Amino acid sequence: MAYSDKVVDHFNNPRNMGSFKKDEDGIGTGMVGAPECGDVMKLQIKVQDDMIVDAKFKTFGCGSAIASSSLATEWLKGKTIEEAQKIKNTDIVQELNLPPVKIHCSVLAEDAIKAALADYQKKADQTETT
Amino acid sequence: MDHHHTHNTGSRDLRMARSMCWHCQSEMSGEYFCERCVKVQPVSKETDYFTCFGLPRRLTIDLKKLEAKFYELSRAFHPDFYQNKSATEQTISLGNAATLNTAYRTLRDPIQRAEYLLDLEAGSVKDIRTSPPSDLFEEILELQETVEAYRASDRASETGRQLLAQLVAERQALDQRKQDMEQHLQRICTDWDALQDRGEATGQARAERDRLLKQMREILSNRTYVKNIVNDLAATIG
Repeated sequence: MAYSDKVVDHFNNPRNMGSFKKDEDGIGTGMVGAPECGDVMKLQIKVQDDMIVDAKFKTFGCGSAIASSSLATEWLKGKTIEEAQKIKNTDIVQELNLPPVKIHCSVLAEDAIKAALADYQKKADQTETT
Repeated sequence: MDHHHTHNTGSRDLRMARSMCWHCQSEMSGEYFCERCVKVQPVSKETDYFTCFGLPRRLTIDLKKLEAKFYELSRAFHPDFYQNKSATEQTISLGNAATLNTAYRTLRDPIQRAEYLLDLEAGSVKDIRTSPPSDLFEEILELQETVEAYRASDRASETGRQLLAQLVAERQALDQRKQDMEQHLQRICTDWDALQDRGEATGQARAERDRLLKQMREILSNRTYVKNIVNDLAATIG
């Protein structure tokens, strides 16, 4: 099975690879895995005034998983928390032209976004109450 | 194979009428063959792999018995014996042979067997989803960076040699961990079987059952993560 040009591009030139310090202010970390295939994805967002100003990822998995998370970080940048909630795995599938067997990679990326947003929210709520 | 495809719908209909012989309509009591008209009967989709081989639903199984039953059934459904039979019988025997092949491969392997049992049983467990093992994930991602640094390095250089030594050590440690996980899984499997053998219907037994299944799932997925990174390491450092 051949990867689409967009997947290959993200795979060869991953955008925003790396990580932030977890405990830094305004950082939300999403850490997810797919037990079926063993892929692991870490996606982080940096939020200022409700706006995602930066995003980073690290992924251990196949080309589609790397491309999905790379694309996700690209899309997250400049979005508000609310807008980010609306990113769906089907958007990723469409953009990267993922075949049916690789749809779970996009699901993993959506899960990672959700987990990062939830983590940010949780930390924000904690700082408010303290 | 053509037969198999063209008669697919037919065999599906037959499967639904499993309790009755598709040929003579008498009530089925035989395992795979009607006791009255001796025609081969399709394995029902509801029949689990353990039942296919007449084995109890346990995680420690008698491999010799499994193998013997598999060979016996493989002979019973062998295409050679159906050359002069009707198209329906050919289709059924082919379908049975395929199902039993999959069933045998699944049950033969202790990991696949546990995964399969989990699939059968987990549906009724409330909240089987376990939280992702963040520490393990961090470790995997860090190791992955070392792997990439090694791939990019000049292997003959001091850095290259150091990275290689580090990866070799990591691989050993991970291999050991995978083995530990498999041993842990083995213990849970023994507990599971013992629980099944006791056959209690108490609330306590149910709670124990759910706890074991959840642990099984956790170990099986963690093992997959470790296995993946070990394979990746092996591909890199040989």
